Amino acid sequence: MTDAIVASGLVKRFREKAAVDGVSFRVARGRFFGFLGPNGAGKSTTMKMLTGLLRPTAGEVEIEGIRLSDDLLAVKGLIGSLPEELPLYERLTGEEYLHFAGRMYNLPRAEVRRRSDELLEFLSLQEDRRKLLVDYSQGMKKKAALAAALIHNPRVLFLDEPLNGIDPISGRIVTNLLKRLASKGVTMFFTSHVLDVVERLCDEVAVIDKGKLVAQGSLAEIRTQLVTTHDATLEDVFLKLVAADVERRDLSWLG
Amino acid sequence: MGRLLALVLLRLRLELRSFAGARERALGMLLIVPGLLFASGLISLLVYFGVRALDRAQPEAVLPVLSALVTLFGVLFCLQPLLSGVALTETHDLRQVVHYPVPFPTLALSSLIANLFQPVVLSELPVTLALALALAGASPRLALAWFGALLSLVSMLAAAQTVGFVLQALSRHRRLRDFVLSFGLLLGFSASLMPLLLLSHGGPLLARMARFLVFTDLFKMSPLAWGVRAGAYGAQGDAVLFGSFAFLSAFFSLACMLASGLLVSRIYRGELDLGPSGLSDVTARMIFPGPVGAVIEKDLRSAWRDPALRMLLLIGLTGPLLLLFFLLQSGRGARGGGGLLLLAVFVGISTFGGNVLGFERRGIGLLLSFPVPRWRVLVAKNLAMSLLRLPHLGMVALAGMLMAPLSAVPCVLVALGATLLIAAGADNYLSILFPVPVPAPGQSPHAGASGGRGLAAIAISSLFLTGALALAAPFIFLAWLPRLLERPSLALVTLPLAVAGAAAVYAMLVAGAARLFESREPELIERILVEQ
Repeated sequence: MTDAIVASGLVKRFREKAAVDGVSFRVARGRFFGFLGPNGAGKSTTMKMLTGLLRPTAGEVEIEGIRLSDDLLAVKGLIGSLPEELPLYERLTGEEYLHFAGRMYNLPRAEVRRRSDELLEFLSLQEDRRKLLVDYSQGMKKKAALAAALIHNPRVLFLDEPLNGIDPISGRIVTNLLKRLASKGVTMFFTSHVLDVVERLCDEVAVIDKGKLVAQGSLAEIRTQLVTTHDATLEDVFLKLVAADVERRDLSWLG
Repeated sequence: MGRLLALVLLRLRLELRSFAGARERALGMLLIVPGLLFASGLISLLVYFGVRALDRAQPEAVLPVLSALVTLFGVLFCLQPLLSGVALTETHDLRQVVHYPVPFPTLALSSLIANLFQPVVLSELPVTLALALALAGASPRLALAWFGALLSLVSMLAAAQTVGFVLQALSRHRRLRDFVLSFGLLLGFSASLMPLLLLSHGGPLLARMARFLVFTDLFKMSPLAWGVRAGAYGAQGDAVLFGSFAFLSAFFSLACMLASGLLVSRIYRGELDLGPSGLSDVTARMIFPGPVGAVIEKDLRSAWRDPALRMLLLIGLTGPLLLLFFLLQSGRGARGGGGLLLLAVFVGISTFGGNVLGFERRGIGLLLSFPVPRWRVLVAKNLAMSLLRLPHLGMVALAGMLMAPLSAVPCVLVALGATLLIAAGADNYLSILFPVPVPAPGQSPHAGASGGRGLAAIAISSLFLTGALALAAPFIFLAWLPRLLERPSLALVTLPLAVAGAAAVYAMLVAGAARLFESREPELIERILVEQ
């Protein structure tokens, strides 16, 4: 089976500092892949390189068998992405924004209209469809950006903190939608700091720390690699992997 | 007192560090300082000799004129954040310190004191001294006169701060903010044109206004002028009037500061809720076909709904209007339409510098995530920019009808179109090489998101501009040939040739720019996103 995402030896240096340092992994088609790491570990930089928004200093990315360096536009037609900082045109209405996104993927107008209506309805944005995005709440903006990432029925979805700022009801709607997409063969590349969500959704995880991949596999495989107990949570595993020193003495003046 | 000092020092330290982090800002400040010193010296001399001359010629006019001028200056100073474009709140934003247990009046006072150390304010000190010297001479009363002038300066700062907080309260409501931004830009632009209009046609009007001012002493009621009046009375040795006006001026400053404190507390506690921004109720329509159409529509909608961009478009009309005015006044338009051709080329070439990718702001990441060939993106952006210039085109056509025979209008429009196309094609290169992200509405125009690209970029821009003009020249010549030879029928051949030639050059320019775009795409995104 072809892998949906192949990253080989990805390196990104900003001046002398390596933000990502030789990261390699493969994600099989239809997998829900969680990409974890502490703040500043290189998650967003990796995701930007995978989606073609950042040129790697070294290394190669292949999406659905197409090398990014060979045909960037073909890859962009196959993927949908939801970056952490939402790329919105704030002076468009929610509906106009989806129409714009659909047409940029060359969908026929009737299809754009149909899919936009369904997405707005599905993500509970129907009532606010004629409101400018600048007047949307943060959660609504996130849902609008997610809708735009889905409108062309992508084969691979890159989601950076997709549940941040979304209320629990919408969060559940979104996670259900993502699970359904994964069951239909869409590959998910998912970053989040909410580890229980990752644990619940992802078939496989990779952990990056200080620009280097420190683990990859299913949670069970990683537990085995780390020789942790069978009931260790993803949080325990994560903290162990990134060697986080979370035990601190009290502050002398507190209390 | 310790907290007040800490807050003032924090603000000053942050301002100094902002220069350390941005070479352009530091360089800009280095360039501004001599300018400020020069302006301060010049204004001081003007004030000193002006007041002395007025005192000799018409002593009873000194106080009314001074009061009027100080009030005018104060009002402009208060509205300065509004007039300068989009920075409603730059020096009044206390969001980062408002959660500390510091009384709101202390916060307002700290902001006021920090404002006293701004270079623009410091440069006013010699002016106040010059005014005091002109009023009191080198006598023991000089101290009273200067004290009065300083009181006026403080009252201006206090009033400006209160106005700043009022604007900030307004800016919390998106629609009001948009309205205020549009209004401010228009007001600022009108204010900048006013001296030109008054000097060209307003002599008698100015004289009448001056007489009215002296006769009524209308600005006696202006709190901004009370300090200066106190200074003038102090210089005359009138202790009672000095004391009264000084007290009134100090009281006004205190009242402004208390009002600022109250406004701060109400703004940050959310008590100045101006209601929801409201539904736009815009029906989404897809007018043009395909991705190119989608980008054009998006650009037109975004530009029209963004108050700053909309006003820029309208204000952009005034350059050609002024040139038209000048041409009509000088009678150059009547001689065979050469002036008209100049106007058309001016309007066409002004597309250069459109910075089409910078206007995307954060949207650049989204735009370039779509699988659309980059040449199409560039064509769409150029077409949108050209459509936004339709009012200019209409104005040139109208000017053509006024200044030249009707047969000249197609020639003029083709010359304009050819220049516009080639200028837009050439500008794509600059937009890719030196993208300048445009600040979002409400963001300071002096923030990191804006600014130039240094001398090298200016030099390369000038080269590209010259190149664009050189490339457009043959087609302008072709378009104008029937007028030169006075054979209107020749237009049937030359105009299509000019259009086709300009279109071919444009196509070549876009093809080259698209290749450059593809090779620099990640760097371009990085540059715009990092600066936003």
